[in-house]
Amino acid sequence: MRGQIQFDEKRQKAIAQCSRCGFCRAVCPIFDLTKRPVTNARGKMILLKELMEGKLPATEAVAQAFLRCTTCMNCTLNCPSGVDPQEMVKQARKDFVRLGMDNLFRTMAETMAKYGNIYGEERRVDWGHKKGNASIVLFLGCVGTYREEESVKETLQLLDILKVDYTLIEEVCCSGVLEDVGYKIIEDLAEKNIREIKKTGAKTLITTCPYCYRVFKDHPAYQNLGLELKHITQFLKDFNFEVQTQKKVTYHDPCDLGRHAGIYEEPREIIRKIAPNFIEPLRTRENSMCCGAGGGFRGSFPKESVRIARNRLGQIIEETGADILLTECPSCLHNFRNARRQKQRIEIYNITEFIGKLYQEKDSFGKEPA
Amino acid sequence: MIPKQSLIEIVGSENFTDQLEELVPYSYDASMNVHRPDGAIWPESPEQVAKIVQLANEEKTPLIPRGAGTSLSGGVVPIQGGIIVDLSKMNRMIEISIENRYVRVQAGVVCDLLNRELAKYGFVFPPDPASSSVATIGGNVATNAGGIKGAKYGTTRDYVLGLQVVLPTGEVMHTGSYTMKCVSGYDLSRLFVGSEGTLGIVTEATLKINPLPRYAMTAVATFSRLEDAGNAIFQTMMSGILPSVMEIMDQVTLRSIKENTDIDLPDAEAMILTETDGFTWEEVEAQMEVILKIFKKNHPIEIKTAKGEKDRVNLWKARKSAYATLARVSNSFVLDDVTVPVSRIPELLIGIQGISKKYDIVIATFGHAGDGNLHPQILYDEYDPEQVERMEKAEAEIFHLAISLNGTLSGEHGIGLSKANYMSLEHDPVEMALMKKIKKTLDPNNIMNPGKRALDDRKESNERANSI
Repeated sequence: MRGQIQFDEKRQKAIAQCSRCGFCRAVCPIFDLTKRPVTNARGKMILLKELMEGKLPATEAVAQAFLRCTTCMNCTLNCPSGVDPQEMVKQARKDFVRLGMDNLFRTMAETMAKYGNIYGEERRVDWGHKKGNASIVLFLGCVGTYREEESVKETLQLLDILKVDYTLIEEVCCSGVLEDVGYKIIEDLAEKNIREIKKTGAKTLITTCPYCYRVFKDHPAYQNLGLELKHITQFLKDFNFEVQTQKKVTYHDPCDLGRHAGIYEEPREIIRKIAPNFIEPLRTRENSMCCGAGGGFRGSFPKESVRIARNRLGQIIEETGADILLTECPSCLHNFRNARRQKQRIEIYNITEFIGKLYQEKDSFGKEPA
Repeated sequence: MIPKQSLIEIVGSENFTDQLEELVPYSYDASMNVHRPDGAIWPESPEQVAKIVQLANEEKTPLIPRGAGTSLSGGVVPIQGGIIVDLSKMNRMIEISIENRYVRVQAGVVCDLLNRELAKYGFVFPPDPASSSVATIGGNVATNAGGIKGAKYGTTRDYVLGLQVVLPTGEVMHTGSYTMKCVSGYDLSRLFVGSEGTLGIVTEATLKINPLPRYAMTAVATFSRLEDAGNAIFQTMMSGILPSVMEIMDQVTLRSIKENTDIDLPDAEAMILTETDGFTWEEVEAQMEVILKIFKKNHPIEIKTAKGEKDRVNLWKARKSAYATLARVSNSFVLDDVTVPVSRIPELLIGIQGISKKYDIVIATFGHAGDGNLHPQILYDEYDPEQVERMEKAEAEIFHLAISLNGTLSGEHGIGLSKANYMSLEHDPVEMALMKKIKKTLDPNNIMNPGKRALDDRKESNERANSI
């Protein structure tokens, strides 16, 4: 044992508040996969209770257990006792790091500091679009930039078609994710982003990544941003699109956009305009199941993460029979695309990417809707 | 103790654990009892369960079958250590036979998932414990789970046609039949329903299913006098109408909801929420008309009715928020499930209020008035020994009160550890002796969920209760 975790009054209250009813079993994506009680919120609240009572030593194994959470917040919204377990988990991760039990995200933080992105990539695709000055800055985020380049390309083309006056910037990782995995945001990166954004003279900052959106919105490091912030679905909801698809379309609420940021309606307003055959999954909106990518879980447990995405995708296909699955989060998109089996015919896109594609199909097929 | 390697040989290393961080969550349920197991195992077939049980019997190692672990009685807390047998991975729906009106499911199937599947055919497995989103069929069988619709639709017991059970000696047994009627031999299914894992491990259940009623109508009535509410309840139950829901909430519960949520409630001593259901609107409305007439005669403050789904949800809001609201206003609570003959409900409610005053402790009571099953929720702080003592005294008195009203210690949660010390209040020495004899006959080495329901040496389980 290498020291003690401190439990302030607020935390003590939250721990006592968990009535151990176990209702979180129904909504935890990791528990759904593993059936191991330590993976769900009740399991972790019990670990905290025993840590607090001095019955359980703070060991590496216990620290590892706290990494098994996607911070999807589904348990929070379904907790009859009003506990916010993912907040407790994030706090515990910080405690373990403080006690000297570093996790693999320490290396990620070093990579971020060095390369300005989570992957240690040295250069990104050149999409152009760096006007320098524009009324809008478009912030892409690491996952879109380095892992879903094609999707980003379509999104950019859509904004061109809609004649949006925007510019990309020399962005670096918002680095907010470090706060979720035991570490702290990298102030230098935040300052660089703020500088780059301000240089453009833009009035509005739009993010495609809902996680970046949350960091810009909520993290003190970005409080002096001084311009209007919108997720791309909030920005596009009032546009009219001259394209439509007759295919059966469904939508997966990303945890970061839905439960964490409360943005449920805007993506749907957009989808209804382009897809008259829009069908909701059974578990949707506040009850949407997580894709398994969040909270550092994909980094720590890549295999389990993809299996969770496979479960969610299977659920969506079974519940909707849709041809097209839309979402608006590069992480969800990336995880679903990795998870999709060849025999599954469902196509998966970000909303903006899909609309971009519809426009192109319209152009190449003589203005016929897809 | 069974050697770890032998268990791993049966289920594979990925389905066994003795890691401390995994055993800690298995030391608890939703009650205040706690004790560490020595290991936990996730069998994937009845054959694996049988092998585990055989080994445990040879090595005299306690086994504690576990579903979702939502029990409020300590029923799945491994008070003598041993191995948790978690049946969550045995979650196959083996057969849905609508034409023969039954389903055959493994023990780990979750109630709501079963009902989601059955709804596609317009059918339902009616018992609906509040934990149905996570509760498993195995747990339902082990505790004879009931729920809100008990008065009209009964409890799990009424739907079990047959069981597959691994006996404590490791043999696999099939009880019952696939038929709606069966009087062939002793009704051994019934012996296992509600046995709380003390007689064997239920691995599969054949359950009767019902057609899903197509329509329902809801009404809520508030009363300034508890006595009027009590009268309204038993007069309804005498009227020839069987409501599908008949819930009551007492003044403490209502006040707590009023003060802690935005739900607008009148200042009342009691609220009743009722539903009628059926296959035509005429049927549903005609039943509700009778109930409303009775309510009106009993001096209600106000009555609200709802037919549409949205309005019905609104009327349910207060009742649905009762547990959560009370859970949020206190650090700790115990939630009991004493049950009395329906006409004795007012006496039980008034008695509980007296006990609350006597021990200066908040007790909010709500529950299923239609079948006499109430849930007194005693609020306290587990870290304050003086409050713990008052809570324990108040709880003991509630049990005495319920028994004195011809009631029972437990309507649907089970005895487990929390109520084990009170078994002799309800059961005479002859009955207790026979229960012990049955236990010993089936489980000679006392390996199945030992230390529960006062079936073995009581002193031993008490000494171990707080040692970790």
